Amino acid sequence: MTVSQPRQRPYWVALVGPLGLYLVVFLVIPFINIIVLSFYTHSPTRIWTTELTIANYIDLMDASFMTVLLRTLRLGGVCTVICVLFGYPLAYFLARASRRTALIGLFFLVMPLMVSAVIRTFGWLVILGRNGLVNSAITAFGLERLGLLYNETAVVIGLANVFLPFMVLPLMASIERINPALEEAARNLGASWLQTFYRVILPLSRAGLISGCLLVYSAAISAFVVPMLMGGARVRVIGRQIYDPLLISYSWPNASAIATLLVIATTCFAFAVLALMRRSARQEQGT
Amino acid sequence: MPAAASLRHATTSRGRANVALITTDKDQGSTPELEIRNLVKRFTPQSVVGPISLKVAAGEFVSLLGPSGCGKTTTLRCIAGFETPSEGSILLTGAAIERQPPNRRNIGLVFQNYALFPHLTIFENVAFGLRLRRIGKAELIQRVGQALELVGLPDLGGRYPRQLSGGQQQRIAIARSVVLEPRILLFDEPLSNLDLKLRLAMRKELRELQRRLGTTAVYVTHDQGEALALSDRIVVMSNGRIEQIGSPLEIYERPANTFVADFIGGSNLIDAVVMDVDAGATIIRTDGGLTLRASRTASRVGDRVVAMVRPERVRLIADAEVAAENRLNARIKELTYLGQDFQLAIDVPPEQELMVVARACAERGLAAGDQVVVAVDATDVLVLSK
Repeated sequence: MTVSQPRQRPYWVALVGPLGLYLVVFLVIPFINIIVLSFYTHSPTRIWTTELTIANYIDLMDASFMTVLLRTLRLGGVCTVICVLFGYPLAYFLARASRRTALIGLFFLVMPLMVSAVIRTFGWLVILGRNGLVNSAITAFGLERLGLLYNETAVVIGLANVFLPFMVLPLMASIERINPALEEAARNLGASWLQTFYRVILPLSRAGLISGCLLVYSAAISAFVVPMLMGGARVRVIGRQIYDPLLISYSWPNASAIATLLVIATTCFAFAVLALMRRSARQEQGT
Repeated sequence: MPAAASLRHATTSRGRANVALITTDKDQGSTPELEIRNLVKRFTPQSVVGPISLKVAAGEFVSLLGPSGCGKTTTLRCIAGFETPSEGSILLTGAAIERQPPNRRNIGLVFQNYALFPHLTIFENVAFGLRLRRIGKAELIQRVGQALELVGLPDLGGRYPRQLSGGQQQRIAIARSVVLEPRILLFDEPLSNLDLKLRLAMRKELRELQRRLGTTAVYVTHDQGEALALSDRIVVMSNGRIEQIGSPLEIYERPANTFVADFIGGSNLIDAVVMDVDAGATIIRTDGGLTLRASRTASRVGDRVVAMVRPERVRLIADAEVAAENRLNARIKELTYLGQDFQLAIDVPPEQELMVVARACAERGLAAGDQVVVAVDATDVLVLSK
């Protein structure tokens, strides 16, 4: 027996079509362009020639680039860990708070995103700078000035500050879905607060944790403004490594190769994490 | 079932108090399993629960019954440790526990929504507390198996909670608590999410299980049928206070006040004045102009009282039955067929309306507008103070 189904109207075309078109024109095509560019040959006079080469990638195999790459990944990792450590308690608090408190909390949480990256970073400079608030306070007590800026710590502080909302929002969403009775059940069965967290809250908010880490990590390793202003020349990151050949030495093929590498790395990381998430979701459903 | 006996001593020396009309005080000098002393929980100045005092003997099944907001759940949460009392104390075999964190109390709690861990298998759900207590693998497997067998679901260990029906989930929730051999089992409206048939079946099972294990149980419900069927004693609560504590029979037959009379079962509550008090009975005159012989009370002549008559205690009688007490001529105002019974609203002259629940009306062919004769024994007319 065949059931005649009404023809499905392709309504999704109308819903995601405009955005899709936008992404193709302004993201996919430029990116393909970058990939192509990364295989062109650098020419000091004409920026590039269409002669194909893999020299741009081979150039990346040197120690100084590897140092920058590893530093970037490390900064991203530390930033993610810090966001988890600060974000989990905050997300839990907001998820379990009254509507009003949650709303006020969310406002303060998202506020850094409403300020331009440059202005926000200059704010940090005012606080951490050579004659900034912290150093003024320290010297007032007769102590030596500290070099708070232009090191990895400063970059991590700056990055964690911006990306904390990316961790808290997905975490909060998944903690909100955990029935509070489950926490009480765990306590009733003899779990301490910490045991309740590890055995109930953590596994049940894993999806939010994973997406939060994914967002923070991808954003942190491709950050540019914060590392440049707060890390200075000593803390070079990949973003800077792309910026310099692009706008200073006009070695576009070189910059394109780094950019391609960064995108591929981020994409692989994202897919690996999402696969992990799918598996844990399946486990949870018990299939 | 052998599993039950090995989990806990099989039976306890619980008095058969629920059979006697008037129970003796449960406090027989020995330390009660659970004692609540002047418990007060203040949320806001307007919202206060207590003071509440209650003793529960070992192996006893006590229900906290009342409408929502009466404080029964707050009391339960204080016992479980999820609320800290503002005043008063909670004693478990004589030792104060009200400042202990919930995870140190070893009091089992069965939740209304079951609260099974969705990310864990049934086996792991039941094993949760055992793992926290670092029970060895062999013993853990054995005890989880026994608990699952006890609730009649030995084969579901590998499933996940969402694959189970509501009734099965509730049994697992019970297994998860009893596997830890708690000193007291608390139930927070555990059957209210189940459909009627299942609720009745689970009610019976729950009672049998509790008897078999001999665990002291405190059961919160707003369902009077559940409380009457399950409990050794019922604590009727309203507005944060205890209205009456007694066996199901006492609560139903001898309600302490109009709230209990009204809340438990159907009742005619009639405003009246005490006309005369003699050795055997009280004579009252209702505001509807009816003179009734009622059971004895401490009231004095002239007191304003409320007379309570259960609808099923009003008998429809044949004219010839002359000897009946409180014999009244009435007219059927309304007649509702309920399947097993009829519910009648009758007008008794001069102007008293009464609700009556009766059987066998169909044989007599009664209809609205018919004249009938009804009677109520004086012992079935309770006089409650206003």
